[in-house]
Amino acid sequence: MSNNKGYKKWISENLGMMFILPWLIGFLVFKVYPFGSSLFYSFTDYHLFDGIREYGMMNYVEIFTKSKIIKAFKVTFTYAFMTVPLKLAFALFIAYILNFKIKGVNLFRVAYYVPSILGGSIAIAVLWKAIFKSDGIINMILAIFGIQGLDWLSEPSYALFIICLLRVWQFGSAMVIFLAALKNVSQDLYEAASIDGASKWRQFFSITIPIITPVIFYNLVTQLCEAFQEFNGPYIITSGGPRNATTLISLLIYNNAFKSYEMGLASAQAWCLFILVCTLTVVAFISQKKWVYYSDEDGR
Amino acid sequence: MKKSIKRAVSLALASTMALSLAACGGGQATESAAQTSDPGNNAPETTAEPAAAEGLEVNTTDPITLTFSWWGGDARHEATQNAVKKFMEKYPNIKVENQFAAWSGWEDKMSASFATGTAPDVNQINWNWITSFSSDGSAFYDLNKVSDILDLTQFSESALADCNVAGKQQGVPVALTGRIFYWNKTTFEKAGLDTPKSLADLMAAGPVFKEKLGDEYYPIALAEYDRMILMVFYLESKYGKPWVENNQLQYSQEEIQDGLEFIQSLEDNHVTNTIKGIAGDGADSLDKNPKWMDGRYAGIFEWDSAASKFEGALIDGEEFVVGQEFEDMGDWNGGYAKVSMCFAISENTEHPAECAALINFLLNEQEGAELMGIERGIPCSQAGLKVCEDKGLLSDKVAEANAKVLGYVEFPLDPKFESAALKNSDGTYYDVMAGVSYGDYDVEEAAEILVEGIEDVLNK
Repeated sequence: MSNNKGYKKWISENLGMMFILPWLIGFLVFKVYPFGSSLFYSFTDYHLFDGIREYGMMNYVEIFTKSKIIKAFKVTFTYAFMTVPLKLAFALFIAYILNFKIKGVNLFRVAYYVPSILGGSIAIAVLWKAIFKSDGIINMILAIFGIQGLDWLSEPSYALFIICLLRVWQFGSAMVIFLAALKNVSQDLYEAASIDGASKWRQFFSITIPIITPVIFYNLVTQLCEAFQEFNGPYIITSGGPRNATTLISLLIYNNAFKSYEMGLASAQAWCLFILVCTLTVVAFISQKKWVYYSDEDGR
Repeated sequence: MKKSIKRAVSLALASTMALSLAACGGGQATESAAQTSDPGNNAPETTAEPAAAEGLEVNTTDPITLTFSWWGGDARHEATQNAVKKFMEKYPNIKVENQFAAWSGWEDKMSASFATGTAPDVNQINWNWITSFSSDGSAFYDLNKVSDILDLTQFSESALADCNVAGKQQGVPVALTGRIFYWNKTTFEKAGLDTPKSLADLMAAGPVFKEKLGDEYYPIALAEYDRMILMVFYLESKYGKPWVENNQLQYSQEEIQDGLEFIQSLEDNHVTNTIKGIAGDGADSLDKNPKWMDGRYAGIFEWDSAASKFEGALIDGEEFVVGQEFEDMGDWNGGYAKVSMCFAISENTEHPAECAALINFLLNEQEGAELMGIERGIPCSQAGLKVCEDKGLLSDKVAEANAKVLGYVEFPLDPKFESAALKNSDGTYYDVMAGVSYGDYDVEEAAEILVEGIEDVLNK
C-alpha cells in the first residue's frame, strides 16, 4: 500500500520530466554528445578512416597559421558584416512601408515574405547561378543597354557580393518581426509628435526606432548567428570559388569533414566559429545597455 | 532578477544555434582509432597468397534483402534497375533495394556510411576509394573468399591487382578508362581546320579560332582537373617516368614548372579559355556548358567512357569525333589508364554469398551483362565484353576511344593521385591550376605548392 503511494508520489513529482523526456533524449544524443565529442576531437588529428594518431593543439595552430583558413574567417566576417546590416535595414524599411494603410497590403506582405521561405532552398541557389552566369539574365539585360556584362561568378570581388545579395533578398522573416513591432508602437506618440511639428523622419528616428530597439536587437543577434553559419549559397552557387573568395568557414568545415575526412581539424574550426559567434553575441548583449530600451525598466 | 534570467535564456538560445554547426563537425565521428595504416604502404599490388574460397552457398530459399548503391546518370540508372530486376527473377527469395543518385555529393554521403559501417551490401565504388576508405581492408569484403560464386577468372590479373589492397581483393574492376581528346569537327571545319592530330596542330588552332570565329571560340576547354591530368600526360611523354612511383613523386620542381608553363601556354595561345572564363559560364561540368553544346568550345580532354555523354550534349548538326593521343608531346607514350570503378561488398554484410551472386550476375552472366551494357564503360569482364560484342552493344565512339587509350598509354597511376586533398574542388590541383590561370601564382610558386601538397598526401 505504502509502495503504491510512493509510486504515485514519484509519478506526480516527475510527470513533467517524463513529458519532456523524448526531447531531452534527442537533445542529449544529437546536441550535447556531438558538442562534447567535437571538443575532444578538436584536440586530435582524427581522420575519418585512419582514426586518431596524435593528440594536441595542432588543429588550433593550423587554424591560426594556415592562410586558407584565415582567409575563410576573413571572408565570413566580411559576409556577416555586409549582409546583417543590409538585411536589417532593408527589412525595417519594407516593414515600415507595409505598416501604412495601403490597398492590397496583405498581398505585398506575402510577396515580400516568400523569398525568405524559398531563399535557403537549393532551387533558388541554382536559379541565382543561372541569373548571374556570364550569359545569364543580368548580363543580357545589361547588353540591351549596351553595357558590357561582368564576370559575376568568376571574379573574386563580385562573387561574394552575389552570395550576399541572396541572403539580403531573404529579408522576409526579419521584416515580419519588425512589422509586428511597428504595429505595437502607440499611435498616440505619433499624434503628439505631429502636433509638436515633428517631421516623419524625426518621428521615425525619435519614436519608432527607440521603441523597437528590443526587436532590432533580437533580429541583430539571430541574423548574426545565421550569417556566420551560412552554407547553401556558397556551396551551390560558387562552391567556395573563385579562388576561395566565397569559402565561408562553414563551407570549409564541411569540406574538411566530408571531403578530406579531417574530422579533428573540422571540429576545431567549428569550435572556433562557435567561440566567435558566442563572443559577438556577448558583445551585443553587453552593448544593449547603451542602445536598447525596455519599457519595463524605468523607460529603458 | 527576472530580466537576467531572460537574458541568460536568450544567450543560451543564441549559443544553441552555433552549437548546431559545431555538432555537425563531430556528429559523424566514430571510434575507429584501432584503424592504423602504414604510411607509404598503400601500393595496390600485393604478393600475399590470396584467401581461399570459403565454400559459401547462395541461399535460394530464405527471404533475403540486399542493398545496392551506385551513382550515375539516367541511362545507367535504368540499365542497372532492369538488370537488378532480372536478378530478382532468377533468385525470387532475394530482394534488392537500390540506392542511386547523380555523382554530385555522392562521395560525401558514401564516405560517411563507410566510416560508420552503415554502407549498403553491394556498392559501386571509385577505384581510389579502396585506398581512401579501406587501406587496412576494414571496409570491403575479400572477394577471394567468394571466388567460387563470383568468377574472378573473367578479369585480367593486372586489373584485379589494382583492386587488391592490404592483401584483400576489395573490389572487382568494372571497366578500365583513360583520358583522350574529343573534337567538335563542325566547329573546326568552320575555322577551316582539320581536327588536331598533334600538339602542334592544337597550338596552331588557337589563333585561327580567334581570328576566324571570334574571341568566344576555343579549340578546347580545360577545367582545373583536366589541366592537371594533361600536364601529367605531357610530363610523362617528355621525361619518360611515372608521376609517382614507390610512394615518391618522381618529378622535380623545375620539371613541374615546365609542365605548368606548357599548360599556361595553352591559355596564352587562345587554345583554351581561362579558368575564370570557364567558371563564369556557370555550368557544373563541361557537358552541361552551353559553350560546349553549341560548339564554342570545340574540344575536350575526357575519360573514354564519357564519349556518349559529351556527344549527347551537343546540339543537332554538330559532329563529334574521337581524337587521338598526341605523339609529339615527347618521346614516350605518356598518360595512364586506370580502373574507372569497381563493385565491392561491404565488410559488414550478412549475405556475402548473395552479394557475390549479384555482382557475378551483373558482370559475368549473359542476362545481367546484356542489360548492363556499356553504361559503365567497356566491360573488364571477358564474359561481359563478349556479351556486349555479340549483342552489338558496344558504342562505336566509346569502343574507339577505349581502344585508342588502352593501346597508347603506358604509365601506371598511383591511387593517391586521386586523393581528396588533391582532387577536390578545394584541393591542391584546383588551387594550383586556378592560381596560375588567375595570375595569383607564378609557375615557380605554383610548382612549389603542388610539390608540397602532393608530398603531404604521400607522407600521410
